[in-house]
Amino acid sequence: MTAAPVAETEDIEPITTHQPVETSSGGPAPESSARYAVILVVGYVISFIVFGVLVAFKGADPISVYHTIISSTVLNANALQQLALRAVPIGLAALAVAVPARAGLINVGGEGQLIMGAVAATGVGVAVGPHVPGVFSWILTCAAGAGAGGIWALIAGVLRTWLGAAEAVTTLLLNFIANDIMLYLIYQAWRDPHGSGQPQSVPLVHSAQLPKMFGSQVNVGVLIALCFVALTWVLLQRTGWGFQLRVVGGNREAARRSGLKVQYLLLSSMAVGGALAGLGGALNLDGVETQLRPDITVTFGYVAFLASFLGRHRPIKVVGAAILFSAIALSGNGLQISNGLDGTIVDILLALIVVVPLVVTNFRRRAA
Amino acid sequence: MSSVSIAHEQAPTLAGIVAFLELRAITKRFGSLVANNEVSFSVRAGEVHALLGENGAGKSTLMKVLYGVYQPEAGEILRDGSVVTVSSSAAARNLGIGMVFQDLRLVPALTVWENIALHIGGSQVLKAGVVQSMIADASQRYGLSVEPKSKVADLSIGEWQRVELIKVLLAGARLLILDEPTSVLTPIEVAGLFNVIRTLRAEGVGIVLITHKMREVREIADRVTVLRAGGVVVADTPANDLDDEQLVLAMVGETVEVTRNDAASDTPSRPVAMRLSRVRVAGVGGGTGLRETDLTIYAGEVLGVAGVSGNGQRELADLLVGAVRPDGGGIELGGKPVGTAGPGAFHAAGVVSVAADPLREFVIPGLTIAEHAALWDRAKSGGGSFDIRASSKKLVENGKRLGLRLAPPTRQLDQLSGGNIQRVLLALALGEAAQVLVLSYPTRGLDVLTTETTRLLLLHARDAGTAVVLVSEDLDEILRLSDRIAVLAHGHVSAIVRAADSDRQSLGKLMTADAA
Repeated sequence: MTAAPVAETEDIEPITTHQPVETSSGGPAPESSARYAVILVVGYVISFIVFGVLVAFKGADPISVYHTIISSTVLNANALQQLALRAVPIGLAALAVAVPARAGLINVGGEGQLIMGAVAATGVGVAVGPHVPGVFSWILTCAAGAGAGGIWALIAGVLRTWLGAAEAVTTLLLNFIANDIMLYLIYQAWRDPHGSGQPQSVPLVHSAQLPKMFGSQVNVGVLIALCFVALTWVLLQRTGWGFQLRVVGGNREAARRSGLKVQYLLLSSMAVGGALAGLGGALNLDGVETQLRPDITVTFGYVAFLASFLGRHRPIKVVGAAILFSAIALSGNGLQISNGLDGTIVDILLALIVVVPLVVTNFRRRAA
Repeated sequence: MSSVSIAHEQAPTLAGIVAFLELRAITKRFGSLVANNEVSFSVRAGEVHALLGENGAGKSTLMKVLYGVYQPEAGEILRDGSVVTVSSSAAARNLGIGMVFQDLRLVPALTVWENIALHIGGSQVLKAGVVQSMIADASQRYGLSVEPKSKVADLSIGEWQRVELIKVLLAGARLLILDEPTSVLTPIEVAGLFNVIRTLRAEGVGIVLITHKMREVREIADRVTVLRAGGVVVADTPANDLDDEQLVLAMVGETVEVTRNDAASDTPSRPVAMRLSRVRVAGVGGGTGLRETDLTIYAGEVLGVAGVSGNGQRELADLLVGAVRPDGGGIELGGKPVGTAGPGAFHAAGVVSVAADPLREFVIPGLTIAEHAALWDRAKSGGGSFDIRASSKKLVENGKRLGLRLAPPTRQLDQLSGGNIQRVLLALALGEAAQVLVLSYPTRGLDVLTTETTRLLLLHARDAGTAVVLVSEDLDEILRLSDRIAVLAHGHVSAIVRAADSDRQSLGKLMTADAA
């Protein structure tokens, strides 16, 4: 009774505590990821059917609803441009969630950080815009926006590291404070005297606004945002700082024992995240809004939060999810016009899109 | 290989007794790896069947097949002589099979009785009083003392295990699979566990004990089966028919020298590596902490630290690597006070450790072995950049040089078994010269061969001038490897003795002595 010849890796236990089948790269094995993809597709088909049934109840034709969703976004040049503009604040705010998430922090404050970025950009843009060449105004407003967003996130970071206050709660509360600050400025200090009664701030002068490219509605803010997406990817995937964030996010005690500066890493991840959202707010203001209005962010920050989770906090996937969500949100207008539905019904579709992968992941874990 | 197999052509079954459970010619593959190759194994009611083998021999795989975690490619499972399919763990439980895993599976935030209710209740909600009285009955009947209303997070590892046992027994298990149950226990807890096993055996429960410790086979096993490299090398043999040497030979496939510190030396003539003066540390997890403790550690010695768990070992190890700061007193490293330095500064100064609790203190989920190596090297060089490729290369070379068979560096560390995690940790800690080497339970989870390799490496480090601090609950290990032994009791160093002048009894007395 002799032992059978076995593979050379005989001394390495094939048994792992958590997932039995594992490739050398650490990701799920091909067969299980293929299975995951199948379940995911099935999940999405079901959720599209569910949404179709729902709109049918509302008296609309599901086929034409889906047709509207597609034609009012990707098949329409004008809508595509709107999509690109909308994706700037949502994409950057989604990265504001993804960066701290690497260190294990939950930043729900994208909304407030976007607002503070827009507020700072307005303040700086209105003050210096008329007196300097446009390019200086763009740089200064973006820097101010990023700084304000960073500081806003850092408040929650400091509360977390010094007092142990849960950042998921403090960032959320800071959203409301940011909104109140903005409303105060719109209605009081910065109110536009020529606004014909509309609540809005003094607009930026034309030179301080981001120029549009090639005669389209798309401004250079889209390019700036793309640069920062790439920069964030490099920061997270290719630098020691990004690596240390993963260590802290994975096991804080092990990070401490490895001599990492845990407090600094937590704080800097919040600051960098907040700065990205703040930049998003500034670009949106400089390029699209040009003045503060009460509903300037229209919950971009919360949509971005969901996008970061859908993209599993991986920068490129997160931005992809942000673009998808921007498209769905935009299609709401089309549904209202063509199909007579309430535009907010697309929020349900958006929710289904987020829920499906969560359910599928859970399903897979239980099956394993 | 066949030269060392001790084959019994047919299991010497007792006349007329059908095995409670039997595995016949089980084959289980993982890709190209054959984890079990036509393995047969049986357990009768009222016996302890020890399943022996080195890491990776296929013991855990076989038991997970029996427990329905894996489905075999070939072979069959019989219960009371008839073929059954075990399609899932739930199916296994319905067949009366219970398993206590190495990584204990309880919900820390819940109480003992809530955890047990979850397991035995399935979807129905059980009344607190009913479950608690069931637990009380079981704990009296089997001698498993647990407090049903305690929160699981507050329990010691031994108590966790007792809860697991009650959980499995209350679910109706007639066959109990214990996967290396003693690897996390103190000697006293081991004795307690064995008493429970004896009671269960007398009640007719069949028990599979997965282990690689000879002492345990001697103490409790009725029959043994030895696996090596996925195949059976000793089948179903009465435990007393084989001596320790034969069993080790069957497990390892070669003769293993027992490592011993033959050059135990007197230390005071050597330079001081580290000195603790009147240090105080608050206790963690119900431990005593350290109270006004003095300890001098010399270069080129092995200082064993013995003591009943919770008497300050953990705090001492943390203190020595800078993971906690003393509440009072001072630490000198190489003659200089360390002040407020953190673990990074200690590491950079040449203080290297094998973590007492690797999953808590070392393993970062999602990171590969190579990335852990890079993190380690950066701490050692006192900061700077990460070079994952260079660190990985160095780790692989060190692993080869030291004779520690490491998993490929691209594997995620958290996906490996405890023994394989320990090898990585050892290869890092022993890979380079250190001033002070703090080893907590260094051979935990390791098989026979790697255990002796590790002990030898530790003595080599000592010979190279490193101050080695060995914290262990295995008194034999401490006695065999140490030059001096510091005994911790009630948060003090109650005695420092020469290893050569001590034995298990004298150490045991010092460990349990009343506070002065």
